[in-house]
Amino acid sequence: MDRLSHKAAPARDSRPATRPPRSLRPTAWWMAESAGAIPLAAGLAWAVASRADGALPAWPAATLLLAGGAWRALALARARLTGQAAATRFQDGLRQRLWPALLPSRTARAALVGEDVHLAVDTVDRTEGLVARFLPLRGASALGPLLIALAVAPASWVSAAIMLATLVPFVFGLILAGGMAARRAQAQHRALERASGLFVDRIAHLPLILASGAEERIGRQLAMATQDVARRTMGVLAVAFASNAILEFFAALCVALVAVYCGFALLGLLPFPAPEHLTLARAFYTLALAPEFYLGMRRLAAAYHDKQTGEAALAAIDQALAHAAPIVERPAQPATATPRHLHGAGVVIAYPDGTRIGPLTWDWRGPGLHAVTGATGSGKSSLLLALIGQAPLAEGQIVADGAPWPGDAANALIGWAGQAVSLLPGTLASNLHLAQPGAQRDDAALVDLLTQLGLGPMLARRGGLAMAIDHRGAGLSGGERRRIGLARAILSGRPILLLDEPTADLDPASAAAVRAILARCAQDRLVVAATHDADLAALAQTCCAVDAPAARNAA
Amino acid sequence: MIALLQAPLARQRRVLRAAMACAIVAALAGVGLLATAGWFLAGAALAGLGGPAAVTGFNYLLPSAGIRAAAIGRTASRYGERMLGHRAALFALAEVRAGLFARIAQAALSGREAGRSGEMAARFGRDVDLLEDAAIRRVSRVGAWAAAIVALACALALGVAALIVLAAGLAAMRVAGPAMATRLLPARQAERARAHAALAADYAEMAAPAIDIAVYGLAPALAEALHERATAQCRAHHAVAQAEAWLAAVQALIAAVTLAAIVLVAQGTAPLLALALLAAMAALEPWSAVAAHDANAPDTRLAQERLEQAGATLATAQPAPVLAARPALTIAGTTLAPGARVLIAGPSGAGKTRLVETLAGLRDDAPQALAIDGYDPRDLGLAAVRPAIALMPQSAPLIAGTVADNLALARPGIDRAAMEAALHVACADDVLAALPHGLDQWLGGDGARLSGGQRRRIALARALLSGRPWLVLDEPSEGLDLATEALLHQRLAAWLDQTGTGLLLVSHRPAMASLAQQAIALG
Repeated sequence: MDRLSHKAAPARDSRPATRPPRSLRPTAWWMAESAGAIPLAAGLAWAVASRADGALPAWPAATLLLAGGAWRALALARARLTGQAAATRFQDGLRQRLWPALLPSRTARAALVGEDVHLAVDTVDRTEGLVARFLPLRGASALGPLLIALAVAPASWVSAAIMLATLVPFVFGLILAGGMAARRAQAQHRALERASGLFVDRIAHLPLILASGAEERIGRQLAMATQDVARRTMGVLAVAFASNAILEFFAALCVALVAVYCGFALLGLLPFPAPEHLTLARAFYTLALAPEFYLGMRRLAAAYHDKQTGEAALAAIDQALAHAAPIVERPAQPATATPRHLHGAGVVIAYPDGTRIGPLTWDWRGPGLHAVTGATGSGKSSLLLALIGQAPLAEGQIVADGAPWPGDAANALIGWAGQAVSLLPGTLASNLHLAQPGAQRDDAALVDLLTQLGLGPMLARRGGLAMAIDHRGAGLSGGERRRIGLARAILSGRPILLLDEPTADLDPASAAAVRAILARCAQDRLVVAATHDADLAALAQTCCAVDAPAARNAA
Repeated sequence: MIALLQAPLARQRRVLRAAMACAIVAALAGVGLLATAGWFLAGAALAGLGGPAAVTGFNYLLPSAGIRAAAIGRTASRYGERMLGHRAALFALAEVRAGLFARIAQAALSGREAGRSGEMAARFGRDVDLLEDAAIRRVSRVGAWAAAIVALACALALGVAALIVLAAGLAAMRVAGPAMATRLLPARQAERARAHAALAADYAEMAAPAIDIAVYGLAPALAEALHERATAQCRAHHAVAQAEAWLAAVQALIAAVTLAAIVLVAQGTAPLLALALLAAMAALEPWSAVAAHDANAPDTRLAQERLEQAGATLATAQPAPVLAARPALTIAGTTLAPGARVLIAGPSGAGKTRLVETLAGLRDDAPQALAIDGYDPRDLGLAAVRPAIALMPQSAPLIAGTVADNLALARPGIDRAAMEAALHVACADDVLAALPHGLDQWLGGDGARLSGGQRRRIALARALLSGRPWLVLDEPSEGLDLATEALLHQRLAAWLDQTGTGLLLVSHRPAMASLAQQAIALG
């Protein structure tokens, strides 16, 4: 299929900048689990030696086997749980960095809510296997063989040396096969990533496919594509399994060499002078530990998928953080004096998709009421967004009292009320006071304002200002939320109010009340409203029309 | 195993059998390696103690050759087991995916809410992945059984008591694993899914008002408010991990008790004890790994049930009337002749999108009286309605694929010249020119992310290509600048004149609205 024939992207540096810390406790428990093999091997050796000897009792062997086995069971459980705890800690820290960066930068990054949910929740979840399993196992797989060799050495230092010697060709083999596997995987990565997502994508777009009458054609293509994914996956797996086979081979070789050496040493048939004296107990203890030498690495190989998933997730998070950083970390200049004159000349807002709005020109003097008009979708909101640094300015300049307007660094001066209103769990009163925490609260004035906004019946029904707001906005309607947002902007006491459609969806009486409130606000503040409402526009001192090719200024 | 999976797996039967044969050989070689080595060591030690005559009499060639053969055989057969097992599972599940798509499409086509048929896509994807995993594991299960049987045979050399102890131990592990899995896991896994959904839903709710968050600096407070949900999710993950850890620990414990008990009851010589003990040890390890898969069994079972239900609710297909090639439409009492150009007007929330999607057969909840060629589209169903109507939905969806793939959806046999012509009418030539691979540019999650306006124009070109008598456009010029919008108006008007296609338009923008000759007001 031609869609799969694109050349794979050049190798990217896949090492994410966000690195999980080393987790010592789960690694230590995995090591403890390995150490449990020592009493187990001793128990086996005792059992066989006692049988050969006849004089020794069998119960110490049973006790050692039981103790070793119980210890390993406990250590295994602890290793998993401490690994999980490490993952929880890491993800907690990750969320604390990621969420405050994502939440305020979504508009500026042009990300959809669903995309951000995926990143903030699902992608963070995907780091679990990497931190909980892969990283502790990696630590243990490096130390485990040494521990086993150390445990074997007192019984048979030659066997310990044999085990360590098999590591050398093993590591070379693994590096060779690993490099080949990585190259093969990389070459197929793009095609596989695209094709393996097709099944979900085609079902997700089923309404479109059905409406087009294309279900049979798409079904045939999908059948070919899924077979193709299987074929390519097998190609990648063949190499991955080959490097696994190298591991298996050396694990088996390690056992075989130790067994043959010990056997011939016991027979006294070694083709060279015996370097040490072996007994059955020592030889058997050595043999029982031989499979443990490579166990850690076999476990690590089984967790390789966790590594890939986790590192891909971290790379995605890094990318999002890099996008968000310049938006979130812009130096917040201290709110200087309130500008008396906000002026824009030839301002063009250009989105990355090529949509251009403007050129726009306006001349706003405060205090006063100014309107931005235009049809829906014409870019009224974009103008307001440009004032708070959330829309990309391509040409022109925004000037406040003769100095360049600092964009979002001036947010502390701005009261905003838009289409979507953020509500925090708490009470209605706490939400209304979000913008000026610690200020003196005048509940009577608050209720008065809300009543003027037409929220009186809602207040009466839901328990007044003490009304509880939950994570989901307490089931308030869109219109109610927007009026709460408007009240919040007014109550913020901030000298500039930017309002997006303040009178939309209101009945005539409420709309008139809102206009009166805004006119009052405009006596001591700079109020800018993007609006369809001709009556509101009529109250404005200037009216910046976004629709027209050149902005009209009716000062 | 469900019907959906049965036939594809049956087609992979030979590969599957070869994989299982490899698994058995690998298990035998694994057990054989340790058991032979143990027997060899103990025998060698006894011979060594017995003096030179005993040493000469001890046949060391056979066991040492056996050890080497087992080492190589285990490696080769394990590789074969993995390759063939994955091959069978991957190709069988590839077929399942294609079959599942066809079934879900059929069910949606004969149901009443085709417009919602895509909602469970991600879930289906995960469910099939789970089945793929389960199919791969079936192979390793065979190996575990083979190893257990060999170990039992070796245990018989130590007397019936040892055999019974090992059999009891193996049985106890098989009973404990699934019992613990079904008791501990489903509730915890369900809680984990619930906690995840709650966190995602709350995050979505709170992340929506991004400007408020930026202006009032609410991000830390929101992150704090979400922290509780995140903690609940972590707790749920931990609870599942705890259950899985317990399950694995109990398996290891039973294995240890079994081994200790064999030592106590065993009869026979030292070499036989060595042989049987190491064989038991080698068999208990893969046996306990089978129990680790029990942890996934409840999830896999649920996935199977969901997939079985998917597309199972086939409504009985009614013989639908054949509509006229160029049917008339009736919307809320107004009858529109073929080729008419009509604006559906009304404030936001008046149900314009609902109306056009109901007319297009994707849903059935518009309150207005509707008819195509005299028949209500809600009775006709999507299959009968779709030859009459080309809908460009407001969301302008694009499938993951190239631009050409997206345009080719419209109907079979569209050549590239027709595609380019349609893109020109839709004012998307500049979009195409900006894409490095033109029509063959891959659109999707990676790289070329298109804006709403660009997507809309490609979706519009697709609707134009479908050659249906009615073109239904839902907000076609959202996100376009005025100059492009004017150009689109001009080219679309010329195209409508030329083809005689009827137009139903939903648009807020006055420039587009002037394409229509009449208006139907909702609200």
